[in-house]
Amino acid sequence: MELDTTVPSQPDAALQSEIAGLIVTALNLEIAPSEIDPEAPLYGDGLGIDSIDILEIALVVSKQYGVQLKADSADNTRIFASLRALTAHIAAHRTK
Amino acid sequence: MTLIPLLPDTPPDQPFAYLRDSVVTRARFLAHVSEVADTLPDEGCLLNLCVDRYHFAVTLFAAIQRGLLTVLPNSLAPEHLAKVMQDHPGLQVVGDQADNPVPSLPWQAVRLQATASTPHLPMPMVDFHQTIACVYTSGSTGTPTAHYKQFGRVRLGILGGAEVLWSKTGGPCAVVGTVPIRHMYGLESSVLLPVLAGGMLMEDVPFFPADIADSLARLPAPRLLVITPFHLRKLIESGIPLPPVAAILSATAPLSAELAQAAEQAFGSRLVEIYGSTETGQIAMRETARETAWQRLSGVQLVQRGEETWAEGELFAQPQLLNDVVEISADGDFRLIDRKANMVNVAGKRSSMSFLNATLLQLPGVTDGVFFVPPRSQAQDVERLAAFVVAPGKTREEILAALRAHMDPVFLPRPLLLIDELPRDGNGKLLARSLTQLVNTHFDAKGETA
Repeated sequence: MELDTTVPSQPDAALQSEIAGLIVTALNLEIAPSEIDPEAPLYGDGLGIDSIDILEIALVVSKQYGVQLKADSADNTRIFASLRALTAHIAAHRTK
Repeated sequence: MTLIPLLPDTPPDQPFAYLRDSVVTRARFLAHVSEVADTLPDEGCLLNLCVDRYHFAVTLFAAIQRGLLTVLPNSLAPEHLAKVMQDHPGLQVVGDQADNPVPSLPWQAVRLQATASTPHLPMPMVDFHQTIACVYTSGSTGTPTAHYKQFGRVRLGILGGAEVLWSKTGGPCAVVGTVPIRHMYGLESSVLLPVLAGGMLMEDVPFFPADIADSLARLPAPRLLVITPFHLRKLIESGIPLPPVAAILSATAPLSAELAQAAEQAFGSRLVEIYGSTETGQIAMRETARETAWQRLSGVQLVQRGEETWAEGELFAQPQLLNDVVEISADGDFRLIDRKANMVNVAGKRSSMSFLNATLLQLPGVTDGVFFVPPRSQAQDVERLAAFVVAPGKTREEILAALRAHMDPVFLPRPLLLIDELPRDGNGKLLARSLTQLVNTHFDAKGETA
């Protein structure tokens, strides 16, 4: 049987809202963490996040979870495709 | 006509560029240039959109060899690109992408052959006055403005910079750049400096701190890191150890002495800051941790006419007006007195407050509004702008969406504060002190929105 990978498990849901909170705080966004659509792109129109912010998020993520984001094989785009994608990446690579 | 060689007269078998899986000699680089030059059209001009820095450099020098102009837009935003296409009829895209990134223009893919043997080709000669590139400034009015660069003059500027830089690093360096290759700083320091001044070029354009460390580790010493102040601060904050770096180069936005000192301490290298602009290219350098005066590069003269300072000399086809008010000392070095009023720099991008305010005021539903630099809890090198907006019935999201269509997203106000009215005086003017008072009622002492 194939696992349905589109629905996050319970711990990931908790992690996801934690990461949403980190993003809102780090970037000084004027929204509540719960207002971030987990499926919407983090870049561009949605949240208005640009590459300056991406670097900021990378720093917070490395401090909080010990995950060094890398752009190898253009993963950058994939990792920041949505809050859910970022959460999945962190869940798979976190060291703390 | 004065002819100069396309590349410097270094040994053909000397390492010239570092690719992911191989080291390229000067002879190999020239063979690649020649190979791409053979595929280029006889006339027209090229929009070089190569992503990889090595492909970009090969294609740029192939165009120079063939006498073709390379056009380097500020961004690929539709409004900007429309102006670029209007300036250059017959524009053709060249790039290393799988597909044409600008489907509305003709396209040619750049694919390098991996042949084992390298022919030793004669060095192509180029006219000193050949116009090789058209770069764009965003312009304080928001209309992109074209600036043309001649091969001989660009080369002199690069050699002038290398003379100062290599004396600090103990010789030509292998160069890692995190900066965009189509902007003047990245073009000069991460592409032309290694190619024209004996350094080594690298294909990567690393972004995250871990990528920067990896790229540096793949190069031999001495190494040069070409970066912006904001990126540098994040690199320091990440705490990632770097291999020894002979010097770190910074430009695009003002760098504080405090950040320069922190960088020197964190990485054990010299921090060299460049003064320049798209119009002038690099014209001066200083070690910001210890120096306040800027040392002119050779071939640059500064001439003061009233409040204005002009850069002149062999590097420039015409005298170029500086964007700053400067004080020139007896030895010709200089200090900045004032950034020109009204100009703002966010993450290396310049605009003017009057343009931003005018753009805000012409939006449907906006009856009044003003951009301002928000107070911050700590010194930050990137200042986001903020704005007060009077727009009855409109939401923040609606106004931001409308603004985004007219300006680079880095200038979008964060926060955008909706208010009932601006405290204008009887003449309709918004006095600086009234604005400050208004700001103080919306931000607490730490610079956070209250």
